[in-house]
Amino acid sequence: MTELNDTELVARVVRGDEQAFLALYDRHSARVYALTLRILGEAMLAEDATQDTFLKLWSRARLYLNERGSLLLWLLTIARRTALDRLRLEARRPMLSDSQEPEDAWQFIADMETLSDESRWRSMYFAVQSLQPDHRKVIELAYYQGMSQSEIAEVLGWPLGTVKTRVRAAMDILRAKWNED
Amino acid sequence: MVQDEHSLLRENIPAYALGTLDVQEAAALESHLQTCESCRVELGTYRAVSDSLLASIPLRLPSPALRNRLHSRLPSAQKQKLMRPRWNWSFGGLAMGGALALLLVMNLVSFQQMRQIQNQQTSLMQQIKSSQFALSMLAYPSTEAFPIADQQLSGSVLVDRERNTVALVMWHLPELSDDQIYQAWLIQPDGHRVSAGIFLPQVGESYTTQPIYSKQDLSEFIGVGVTVEPAGGSDQPTGPRMFAVEF
Repeated sequence: MTELNDTELVARVVRGDEQAFLALYDRHSARVYALTLRILGEAMLAEDATQDTFLKLWSRARLYLNERGSLLLWLLTIARRTALDRLRLEARRPMLSDSQEPEDAWQFIADMETLSDESRWRSMYFAVQSLQPDHRKVIELAYYQGMSQSEIAEVLGWPLGTVKTRVRAAMDILRAKWNED
Repeated sequence: MVQDEHSLLRENIPAYALGTLDVQEAAALESHLQTCESCRVELGTYRAVSDSLLASIPLRLPSPALRNRLHSRLPSAQKQKLMRPRWNWSFGGLAMGGALALLLVMNLVSFQQMRQIQNQQTSLMQQIKSSQFALSMLAYPSTEAFPIADQQLSGSVLVDRERNTVALVMWHLPELSDDQIYQAWLIQPDGHRVSAGIFLPQVGESYTTQPIYSKQDLSEFIGVGVTVEPAGGSDQPTGPRMFAVEF
């Protein structure tokens, strides 16, 4: 199973192949879980959201279209939505995650010398961490807490215009970094 | 289109890619994108950034137990549970019997509902392991059960105010088209709906259980409902209502 690519595995999942489904889980669960944990901040809730995400893959595998993007991004989009739904339900206060991450978390990332997706994602991670604090805050609240610009303005006590300016500036910086790689 | 107006819309593209535009601004930009190729190209460049934000978080390994839980939800594991002989249920079967008796007593409303509950009894006994959340709620004396009485489906809404938890047990939930999903809502006294999660009918089962966790006190809500929404869910109900139950 490990020699099959995602598209081939998904095709098998559509036919009800549970081993193919578990192979996709083994391949992508760490990244899906990392995202749900980042959003929800609690291991139990993050595991629930991760489980829900993969169950949606099981029941909706036939909807995945390879030409629209990678399976991983499709999964992560579902995971983000599932986790944000749970976050809104829990009515949590916004969390601004600490930039400290365990070094051993990067052991699965490919060599930086190859311009693979993995290395570009790592570059993006460090680019976000390198943003000015105010820019990093708006990215965190907008993307990982699912807040609108109005909600961010209310939570941080900033004028709406300031929030909009900082969102644009942060995204321009990140886009420039992405295009460099 | 006046250039200033186009510039204003274009300025919103980064926020739109991030999913943080307010509803009205997003709608205006979406309308504009249908006719403006340059803005669609611009959006693509920012979408690459937001996509990378999804995947740029350092990896974290979930517990090994999660894989086992996921595996237990797949059809092959479900079939194995159904084939287990009755004498292996022992204490679990007695607890299930006691919990079902409690459900019967709490839902003596009409003969038709009684038949529905008896059907629930039979199927719940067969699905005990896959509905442990609902089972544990039934075992608590503080749990209240409110019947779902609808032309299309039946079931119960289990409410435990002491533990601030709700569980939906829905029978014969219709399959949806590929671009739809069920969404649960907690209903406030002023009619405002708070999303309580999205879900699909349980695979290979005639019933679907959906636990609802609420950090807000249940006393702030007067009921729960389920609607059909576009895949991914909605901020507020937009689709047909499957049922609403006051508690």
